[in-house]
Amino acid sequence: MTSHDWYVEHRASWVARALDTEEARSFADHLKRCPECRGAVAELERDLSWLPLGVAPVAPRPGFRRDILDRIVGARRHSRWGWVVPAALAASLLISLGVIRGQHQRLEVVSGELANRDATLAALRDTLSVEHDAAQVVHASFAAAGKACNITIIADPHTHRWNVVVHGLPPANAGETYQFWFITDDGMRRGVAIDAVTGRVASFVTDMPPGNAKVMGAALSIERAESRGGPMKGTELTKIMM
Amino acid sequence: MVPGPKPRSRPTLVATSTASAGLRGRLLARDESALSELVDLASPWLLGVTQSILQDREESEEVVFEVFDTVWHHIGEVEAHLGGLMPWLLRVARNRAIDRLRRRSRRGRTIDGARALGVLGDDVTAAPEVNEAATPGWHVHGQVHAALAELPDDQRAAVRLAYFHGLTHSEIARELSIPIGTVKTRLRLAFDKLRLTLAPLKDWVQ
Repeated sequence: MTSHDWYVEHRASWVARALDTEEARSFADHLKRCPECRGAVAELERDLSWLPLGVAPVAPRPGFRRDILDRIVGARRHSRWGWVVPAALAASLLISLGVIRGQHQRLEVVSGELANRDATLAALRDTLSVEHDAAQVVHASFAAAGKACNITIIADPHTHRWNVVVHGLPPANAGETYQFWFITDDGMRRGVAIDAVTGRVASFVTDMPPGNAKVMGAALSIERAESRGGPMKGTELTKIMM
Repeated sequence: MVPGPKPRSRPTLVATSTASAGLRGRLLARDESALSELVDLASPWLLGVTQSILQDREESEEVVFEVFDTVWHHIGEVEAHLGGLMPWLLRVARNRAIDRLRRRSRRGRTIDGARALGVLGDDVTAAPEVNEAATPGWHVHGQVHAALAELPDDQRAAVRLAYFHGLTHSEIARELSIPIGTVKTRLRLAFDKLRLTLAPLKDWVQ
């Protein structure tokens, strides 16, 4: 067998990257000198270009796309906004000189608005990531102060988080608040207090309560506003089992 | 009860050569929405390739990030003659995953981990869970599965370990308890058959 025959026989192993270290080094050196093998290897790579699709696809975790985009494009955005800091410093200097006092206030307002919008966008992305991977959605209807209400829980099995949406909840009476509860195998665990505003949907994303208790469902009650801890003492509005 | 992980519908690959070419043009134009689309489109397959080799979700994600970072910053250098953007992404992801695998000194753990996860079984030849025959990407996925399933068991095992798990000749020989020469022969025969079977796919991607 000639030396070239060896390389011909090992083209597939080169493409598969199955050659051991010394063989791979030798093959790489040969490719630099041999246009025939370079052409044949390129053709083999093209023929097998879809072979990687033989693997089972893996579902990205929630937020994966957001992380990728933040790391790649976000860095560019930051550099694009890099002028803000020197501009703000320059503005501060001018303000200290008493030249454009009004501009300073405007800048603060705009910065505040931008921060609020960023926070809103981040919250929306987070919520959507839960809904995207939801494995279980439960829904219940109930009445609060004579009004028909609905609660929907969208459960993400990967991050063990819930997106909870409550429709139609009227504002609580003075001195009262709506309270979300987890029903666990170790009793009721207090979740977040819900601030209801007429005409608006109450929505929040929640982690599971700390500890090892198994969460089996959820409940909603009306509690005295000052009762910020302890067991449920108020009126239970609804109970949902997952 | 908090719902545990359950089988999800498999992600859908909607890449066609046209779509990839369109995406490539938009990436060249620095269209951030094109990058977002590409991440949605390619991530399940890139994660599949890298996780199969690395057996480590976090490291696999890091490789996929590097691939997207490269495509975003060097899209102008992506070689068009390789058959499109998706094959290029798949090839780069696989190569980088293997580079990482070879850099780390936990090969034994990798193989053991793969065994524990059952991925050294017939994972690459199992039929897709969902019939997505109408979707271009799934059509390719199905054809690759079919091509692999047609191989004799011993050749398929060698391809699986070499191509999908990144093992070298000597590692495969150890894993299968066969001589290195036999590994080489099986791989050569298998790739000869695979390229013949998969060759028609070239028309689809060009």
